Amino acid sequence: MIAPKHILGTFDESLAALRNNVLMMAGLTERSLERAIKGLFDRNDELCAATIADDEEIDQLEKQIDKDGVDILLRFQPVASDLRRVVSAMKLSSNLERIADQATTIARRGRKLNRHPPLAEVELIKPMYEHAMSMFKDSMDAFVREDVKLGCEVVGRDEKLDDLNQDASHKLVERMAEDPDQLRGYLNLIFVGRCLERVGDHATNIAEDAVYAANAEDIRHQSQTIAATTS
Amino acid sequence: MENLVMETPEQTVLERLEKGAAPPPEAELPPARTFEVKNMSIWYGEKRAIDKVTLDIASKAVTAIIGPSGCGKSTFLRALNRMHELTPRTRMEGTVLLNGKDLYASTIDPAIVRRRVGMVFQKSNPFPTMTVGENVVIGLRLNGVRNQKLLNERLEKSLRMAALWDEVKDDLHKPGTSLSGGQQQRLCIARALAVEPEVILMDEPCSALDPIATAKIEELIYELKSKYTIVTVTHNMQQAGRISDYTAFFYLGRLIEFGPTTKIFTNPSEKQTEDYITGRFG
Repeated sequence: MIAPKHILGTFDESLAALRNNVLMMAGLTERSLERAIKGLFDRNDELCAATIADDEEIDQLEKQIDKDGVDILLRFQPVASDLRRVVSAMKLSSNLERIADQATTIARRGRKLNRHPPLAEVELIKPMYEHAMSMFKDSMDAFVREDVKLGCEVVGRDEKLDDLNQDASHKLVERMAEDPDQLRGYLNLIFVGRCLERVGDHATNIAEDAVYAANAEDIRHQSQTIAATTS
Repeated sequence: MENLVMETPEQTVLERLEKGAAPPPEAELPPARTFEVKNMSIWYGEKRAIDKVTLDIASKAVTAIIGPSGCGKSTFLRALNRMHELTPRTRMEGTVLLNGKDLYASTIDPAIVRRRVGMVFQKSNPFPTMTVGENVVIGLRLNGVRNQKLLNERLEKSLRMAALWDEVKDDLHKPGTSLSGGQQQRLCIARALAVEPEVILMDEPCSALDPIATAKIEELIYELKSKYTIVTVTHNMQQAGRISDYTAFFYLGRLIEFGPTTKIFTNPSEKQTEDYITGRFG
């Protein structure tokens, strides 16, 4: 939504800068997640290392967004949609930082897995990754486009990711019993699955914040209702 | 509830004070709405300042009226105690009910209305020839109260309610104008409270004050709302957000939006309200 110009040009500039930093942080986070998973699937240590190295930049952006957000609150005391946009941007940055942390953890687990023979069960991670990534991308789209419907849909998709994670964990535990020599490897894959499940949780938070920013509706802790209405 | 038509100054102030001002019985407590304004239009000569405004004002709550200069918010406020009638060539249509009674009925004495609905102005206006103490009780004296004990009691009570007693109790004999700007404004509030109004109207009461004096007035408004219905006009959006329970947004004499302050300042329904409060107006 394009709002009319603010009577203070510096306010529009500050708000645009805040938003740009959020979008840059989202882009870096998405890249980290892609690299971490590619490093895992392709057994590529360099990609894993790049993911771990990029985390620092994302952490700094989180601090910058928080600082800029507080500055805007202090200097302009925004209200209504402006206030919601600032608050949402600050909450988003926290969730993006945590998604990037999950990507870093996946990269670390990937490096560990790469030291051992490949496991066919890594395929169990693929559907989870695709689902988590689509939730993350759509949650950001909902934020950018202020798309309430899409935001609610993303929230409703978290349950499927939980189910996928549970199924994968069961299968991996079974494999542990069948093939105890690869126990560490299966355990690492379980941790990767858990990271992706957490990515889904953070994407859900982002989608909820996107809905709040768009129309001031707090849809948190209503996932069952939303799942029912969007299915 | 007191009857606007039947009461006289003696009954409303003197008698009540001298009888010890017992609290009204439960059944007589004010209803949830102090004012019911219906289709109010006001003209200054040919110019329409207020255009068919319908608005209920909640009892014992703070209602803020916001809007750009010239939108009619002060006119609306002044119409709640008929002060706008002091301006020549003023005409009004519609009804204003104060606790169910028509303020504009032909039998109503505007002077009584103004006593029941007190007003505090943008610029503090203590009477320059009077002391601090005289400024507070002048309304009572003009209403015939001569009992010095009562006057003293009401003087202290009003100054305490206006959060000024501790600062001026040793200077009651000094001129009212010797106080600081913030103290003078609280003195004016004490003067308004002394005649026991039901409503206090405030027309930008803090716009001439520094942040500390403003904070004291804002705290005072917060304290007073447990006993009084308060309607305030302000240009300060943050102040409206801090002190009010309800907010009305006026534009070009019309009421654009009215609702709980939290709603207006987080998610207004009207685009004009959103544009105004976010600073994107015009």
